Amino acid sequence: MGKKEKEFQIKWKTDLPYRYSIGKLAVKYFEELKNKKIMGSKCPKCDKRYMPPRAVCANCFIEMTVEDMIEFSPKGTLVGFTVVNYPFIDPNTGGMRPFPYGYGIFKLDGADTYMMHFVDETDHTKFKIGQRVEAVFKEKTEGDIYDIPYFRLIKEEEE
Amino acid sequence: MPKHNVAVVGIGQTKFRSKRRDVNIPEMIYEAVKMALDDAQMEPKDVDAILIGNMDHFEGINFSEMWCGIDAAPGYLKPVVKIATGGTTGSSLGICGYYNVASGIYKNILVVGWEKLNEGGATTGIITAFDPVWERPSLAGALGPLALMANIYAARYGITSEQAAKVTVKNRSNAANNPFAHIQMPDITLEDVMNSQMISYPLRLHDCCPQSEGACAVIYANEEETKKITDNPAWFKGVSTAHYYTFGCDDLMFDLPTAAIASKKIYKKLGIKDPVKDLDVAEIYEPTSWSELSWTESLGFCGKGEGGKLLDEGITQMTGELPVNPSGGVLSTNPIGATALVRFAEAAIQVMGRGGKRQIPDVETAMGMGFGGSLWTELAILGKDPKPLR
Ligand SMILES: [Zn+2]
Repeated sequence: MGKKEKEFQIKWKTDLPYRYSIGKLAVKYFEELKNKKIMGSKCPKCDKRYMPPRAVCANCFIEMTVEDMIEFSPKGTLVGFTVVNYPFIDPNTGGMRPFPYGYGIFKLDGADTYMMHFVDETDHTKFKIGQRVEAVFKEKTEGDIYDIPYFRLIKEEEE
Repeated sequence: MPKHNVAVVGIGQTKFRSKRRDVNIPEMIYEAVKMALDDAQMEPKDVDAILIGNMDHFEGINFSEMWCGIDAAPGYLKPVVKIATGGTTGSSLGICGYYNVASGIYKNILVVGWEKLNEGGATTGIITAFDPVWERPSLAGALGPLALMANIYAARYGITSEQAAKVTVKNRSNAANNPFAHIQMPDITLEDVMNSQMISYPLRLHDCCPQSEGACAVIYANEEETKKITDNPAWFKGVSTAHYYTFGCDDLMFDLPTAAIASKKIYKKLGIKDPVKDLDVAEIYEPTSWSELSWTESLGFCGKGEGGKLLDEGITQMTGELPVNPSGGVLSTNPIGATALVRFAEAAIQVMGRGGKRQIPDVETAMGMGFGGSLWTELAILGKDPKPLR
């Protein structure tokens, strides 16, 4: 193209609010989260324990009800980690997601599936696969997803 | 069993770039569609139906098949169906196109995948594709989870950053032979990759695919139609799809189960015993350098943990026994809704012997792969004839 072409731009800003039905299991999850309990779902047929909870066990195609929900330990094992170090707009807030942030995939004690969440560590050399982690609750829980703002790495000497 | 054999008879792709501010979406789609029609020496009136796909949320639009698919695709007075399955959008288009012709519903079909990623943001768009309650709050688009995967894969099998960087050097060196490829770094070195900015440990900038703008269109025809159009088609030998559980974190993405399941299924169907010997070239979907190492394992090109060795031995290089991504792959070009269709189109180009500087000699059989959705894999194997290998 060689020389810089003139750009014609039209700018506007859009605000697009949505409201989601979160489902019966999530209602129970958030009610119990307020009591600082972590609830997942359990398949009545194959006994697979899901965290995050969900309505159907894909393998069995069986509904997992609120009655089938079980409590998990807030502690678990770090399976993998990264430190996210790039800018992007967070669709949940409409603003930039603050970075860098620690991000891990864990298996809570008693769960058969993995979950991902923030970790309060941004130095990747401080993480070790297989180390223990723990969900940190806000002091005053409100029954929303940010009641656990992040997981923390449990230091070996604490164990 | 398919009622009809299906061939690729026309291909069009735009020159992929970071930004195509010179065109709007329908104008960009038209470029690829016109190329494909010209390639098959067809007019819009000759086309039975259209499949079109992209991921609308990446551009912040909706129902784009209505205003992009009718004039430009060209869907005027024809059946038009939209397909959007995330990273696999292009391969879902490719496979649905195959089903539509193989079943006898249409004698030919035009499929077009496109994306204009810099009109929005891929990371933001990808986050909206996941569960709003459980996954959005901490999800960092695709690269965060792919970084987790790289990290676990490295720890499990002792794969090094240097081995991963070699994938980028291979693929971007290949891209220099592909006039359509987005990232052009013909002199890229291992040091360039290993010294590039840390994006999400252990992924560095050059371990990651770019965000591209462009479109790819492919025309399929049944046997009778194909005879009228070309004496050098690329025939579908078979297709295969495997999906996985709901959430992005339901799998660790190395030892990718959907790639293992889908590939085993298609190899069995086609009598492929050793993919390295039986396939002549593969265009796989590698959003990161680490993914290519790991997923060549999942596709059965080597044993678990041997992806690095496979590369080190030169097997996946242009001159190797099974060259992987002679086009430059996803690491060089990633217009999401078109990306996996480009894999199928490039496999067809190799079979047709039309690859120019990126052509592998004497290709009889080529595989294309799509990855995306909820950790799922889609495969197509094309060849000089529609028959199984054995
Ligand atoms: Zn079950």
